[in-house]
Amino acid sequence: MMISARAVLSRSAPLLACLGLLGVWQVAALAHNTDSFPTAWEAILTIPSIVGDKESLVNILASLRRMAIGFGIGVLLAVPLGLMMGRSRAVASFVNPLLMIIYPVPKAALMPIIMLWLGVGDVAKILVIFLGVSLPVIYHSFQGAKAVEEKMLWSAAAMGLSATQRMFRIALPAALPEIFTGCRTGLVLALITMITSEMIARQSGAGNILFNALDLGEYGTVYAMIIIVGALGIGLDIAFESLRRKLVKWSEPGFDIPVDFA
Amino acid sequence: MIEIDRVSQIFRTAGRQEHLALSEISLTIDDGAFVSILGPSGCGKSTLLYIVGGFVSPTKGVASIKGRPITGPGPDRGPVFQEFALFPWKSVLGNVMYGPLQQGIKSVQAEAQSRALIEMVGLRGFEHFYPKELSGGMKQRVALARTLAYHPAVLLMDEPFGALDAHTRTRLQNDLLNIWERDRKTVLFVTHSVEEAVYLSDKVVVMTRAPGRIKQVVDIGLPRPRRRSELLLDQHYQRYLVDIEGMIDDTSEDELRP
Repeated sequence: MMISARAVLSRSAPLLACLGLLGVWQVAALAHNTDSFPTAWEAILTIPSIVGDKESLVNILASLRRMAIGFGIGVLLAVPLGLMMGRSRAVASFVNPLLMIIYPVPKAALMPIIMLWLGVGDVAKILVIFLGVSLPVIYHSFQGAKAVEEKMLWSAAAMGLSATQRMFRIALPAALPEIFTGCRTGLVLALITMITSEMIARQSGAGNILFNALDLGEYGTVYAMIIIVGALGIGLDIAFESLRRKLVKWSEPGFDIPVDFA
Repeated sequence: MIEIDRVSQIFRTAGRQEHLALSEISLTIDDGAFVSILGPSGCGKSTLLYIVGGFVSPTKGVASIKGRPITGPGPDRGPVFQEFALFPWKSVLGNVMYGPLQQGIKSVQAEAQSRALIEMVGLRGFEHFYPKELSGGMKQRVALARTLAYHPAVLLMDEPFGALDAHTRTRLQNDLLNIWERDRKTVLFVTHSVEEAVYLSDKVVVMTRAPGRIKQVVDIGLPRPRRRSELLLDQHYQRYLVDIEGMIDDTSEDELRP
């Protein structure tokens, strides 16, 4: 099958955009020519020395582990809470004001207080990541559950599904596309809070490498870490998107022209 | 037998006003009867159906089935809604099998029964399509099969063909009658189409607008099985249409009363 030039162009557009950004960086750095602004090429060349270094790798993996735990706990608690809010006005009117108070507070700003209570170790960082992840997931689960067609739940009730069964077997799958939107935002926020938590409680992790390098004036490492974190974000997002597509294929447009024989 | 005994329904509007949707409705529906509830929009006819379904509890009065008061939904009363309300994450087969599986029927058996029902509603070959991939008429066929699959004694149909184009609507009416002729379930059918009500029903309950009251119950004495092509020229059929249209015209005079 022939692939048109336009298809090739649209398929490789994200890659071209990245290359373009690196190109602009390269030119700007060359024009500026200071130590604190290495060229893109120099930064890229520093990446292998970070990824190849065992200690750095352990740090980065520790970060990812905290992020995964915080994200996991966040999703596991936020989805049921959001669903309950969506299906019960009483729960929603109780929880909503609390969320409104927490919502505008940058979660990293809570870090000093949390450190005071829980120290600078994993628990404090995981808690901050958890807080960052929870809100968008709660919100989207709430919206998704609220939008579930009443008649769909009635149909299930007539089949004999109990209230709990309707919640998990009807409201949950029906709200799943919306829940995934929340999880996707949550994933990015997990990455952000992961780095910021390590910036404040410097002990280990990707954020720690980055800010230590900044202190030591190793600007190549600083920029290389930014590229690595960015790449992690893109990689996680792509992986998540493909999972989402597989699970909520039924809600995707695309085969939007319904068949009809009438 | 379904008995509706002096049922009233009051809704509280957003402005904290009370709105009397149904007022003192009493009605008896015999087993195996096809009964239509006909009325202008906003007469509470769907609410009456939801009360029988157990989805809404009446403010006053009692609805009962087989002598037992209705306290909630149950598989003895299967709803079919205008909005189809299919499970979008399930295929056609998955939707139809949902009820039987819930009732503990083995999946091999449930699948065989469901495939037969899908064929009966004319959707053979579409078992693995998702609701999103189907037209409105096909979705409503799936919804009907899904409800028939758990063998309710009563079908509660809430303007089931209201969202369909005229051609599809006619086809589904004919198919519904054919299916109904086989096992003669009790059907409670809400519609605002006089023609549809007379064509399908044994009994047409004509309602007035807000507050919803029963204006008159008309027995439709047309022989079955009915053929649309014959009925259209039938004088009795035409008489029913004219009479019932007249009743509805009467009630629309007080249309603007809150």
